[in-house]
Amino acid sequence: MVRALELVRDPEIAAEISAHLVSLERLSEERGRRATGLAALDALLGGGWPRAALSEISGRRSSGRTAVVRAALAAAISAGESTALVDVGGTLDARAAMSKGPPLLWIRCLAAQALKAADLVVAAGGFGTVALDLCDARLRIPDAAWVRLRHAARAQGTTVLVASDTRRLGAFAAAAVDLGGAPAFDTEGPPLFARLEVRAHRLRNGRAQSSSSQSDQQQQPCVSLAFMSRS
Amino acid sequence: MRLACVHVPQLALQAALRRSPEARESPSALLTSVGKNRSRVTELDSRARSAGVRPGMTAAQASATCPGLRLFTATAADAEAGAAALADVGYAFAPRVERDGERIYFAADDLTRLYPQGDQAIAQAVQAHAARLGFGARVAIASTKGSARAATRAHELAVVPAERAGARAFLAPLPVHFFTDDAELCAAFRRWGTRTAGAVAALPTSAIALRLGPAGAAVARLARGEDDEPFLPQLPPDALEEAVELDYPVYELEPLAFVLRGLCDRALERLAGRSLACAGLTLRLTLDPRGLDVREIPVAAPTREAKILVELARLDLARRPPEAAVVGVHLIALPARVRATQLDILRPSGPAPNRLAATLARLAALVGPENVGTPAAVDSWREEAIAVKAYPTGGSSGGSSGAPATAQLVEEPGLCLRHRRPPEEIEVLMDRDGPAALRGAETTARILVAAGPYRLSGEWWRDTAEGGSWARDYWDVHASDGAVYRLHRDGRSGRFYLDGYYD
Repeated sequence: MVRALELVRDPEIAAEISAHLVSLERLSEERGRRATGLAALDALLGGGWPRAALSEISGRRSSGRTAVVRAALAAAISAGESTALVDVGGTLDARAAMSKGPPLLWIRCLAAQALKAADLVVAAGGFGTVALDLCDARLRIPDAAWVRLRHAARAQGTTVLVASDTRRLGAFAAAAVDLGGAPAFDTEGPPLFARLEVRAHRLRNGRAQSSSSQSDQQQQPCVSLAFMSRS
Repeated sequence: MRLACVHVPQLALQAALRRSPEARESPSALLTSVGKNRSRVTELDSRARSAGVRPGMTAAQASATCPGLRLFTATAADAEAGAAALADVGYAFAPRVERDGERIYFAADDLTRLYPQGDQAIAQAVQAHAARLGFGARVAIASTKGSARAATRAHELAVVPAERAGARAFLAPLPVHFFTDDAELCAAFRRWGTRTAGAVAALPTSAIALRLGPAGAAVARLARGEDDEPFLPQLPPDALEEAVELDYPVYELEPLAFVLRGLCDRALERLAGRSLACAGLTLRLTLDPRGLDVREIPVAAPTREAKILVELARLDLARRPPEAAVVGVHLIALPARVRATQLDILRPSGPAPNRLAATLARLAALVGPENVGTPAAVDSWREEAIAVKAYPTGGSSGGSSGAPATAQLVEEPGLCLRHRRPPEEIEVLMDRDGPAALRGAETTARILVAAGPYRLSGEWWRDTAEGGSWARDYWDVHASDGAVYRLHRDGRSGRFYLDGYYD
């Protein structure tokens, strides 16, 4: 590949071609999964979040749910996919949103509107990853809503991530991860809150792709993640 | 140059029928006010005429003569909307159109590329499009305006030959009164025994001019197909308008939404004819007994779905109901072109632009247009400051956007602060080392670890009225409920606020 690029004299054209080349690694990646954006979580889930299915991220406040969702969205954006975030309460961190790439469709809504909004986005088709952030929502969601959302996700091949404080999806989730965090402080000066250590427990991970990844999962049902302050 | 003439006879009546299409099945007539509390029939269709209704009758006389007669009252709103819709028949086929009362003219030369079958096919297409917009139109194509105008009077659909001899032969059998509205002139020609265009054309023009003046000479030229009337086309207006005056005041949202649906349907039909979509709405509601309620209804992405527009308008009306009953609705639709996109073979395709536009509009209807879009930076040091800009519905929305994306979060996953917008006022118990406990609407907890204060201030150059000049002391605190909160004390009021929590 590099030799072929050397034949192109114009560096701008070479850069353009190299930008569009697809690596062998990417071609050989498992087609049934989407990268989580976190290597440890990819290993835990056997390649990433399942495509065309619902996945669940649960945990109490400050357990890293939002960071995991943002990492998945960023990974999808870096892969050139369209992404959407249904954000109950409009809590998006401006600094986290300023990454380069295809724009994120951000929908600020009330808890009662969230499922309907997610359903509309997924049914529109063309979105690789759609995140439904229900972290602080106080509402009861009927099973029929999850059935409809799962059906739409299957039809469109969309990865739907649902982040909430408790497990809500039950058997409707193809993959489920529970998070627990431990904060670390730096009292010297900004950033004030320096680091969040997170333990991610795999609760559910249906349709694993390869026997090797299945055995990895059995050996390793829990991984550690760390999120640093951006300040 | 080939010119198409579209003539809608009794335009005022047909414009009124556009808002009640079901009335087309029954005889109908238009009442026009001719004085205080007096109105007379001025226009009527063929069924009403054959039943014995005549112009000048009162409403009671007309109803008695024809029991099933539908009577409409002429309104300025209907007339304006009808004239604009007639012009849109032309704008569906040509970039410039000349408007002339019940007629429009436009150049039909370039249409032969779209309709290689010839002028007959063009005329049929124009007539079919006029029917879609609710008009029974007469269409003629000729080389001059006068010939086309005379042809529409004689035929429903006519193509006048391009060469002069052919045009003259086509016009020859037509009666003279098709070429002029001047009754005295027609009477003069009748006295001479010249009842057809062919007979007038055979007379020397100089002799006619000597006896009947320039008007008579113009009729003679028209009869020969030698029209020198200039074609004066105009560009389409920036916005497209539809209006209706209601027979009685409307107090409730549902009937108003029903009226809006009809307006949106008609507006979108006209836009579709010009290959455009609606990118925004302005509603002007006439209130009872007086007053005007003007509201802008933004549309997230250009759409051609009336349901979405009505839903947006309905949500806006539900959010801010009019102060009084509505007696008139004037809808202004902002036209926009729906762009086609070129997808990238090497990158994942994004949502289809048309479906995305409809979805964005539905989302805007659900959560409000200000809550749908893509996050944008704000020129402020306030941590919670963020804006929403319109989500691109073109090629850049999907994976087909030019440069490969580099998301910083992938390489270096960072902490996220879940902001409360606006920050929630809370009570904080302070001790010697800083915050010791906090109590808010959802949270009451002891503080285990507190880092801070970290002072931020800014925007002192702005007036207080603009929300400027702020100073805050920030703390990050680990509370006993397990969460890590960010809170601040306002430097001016001394009050504490919860900014959110890390997650």
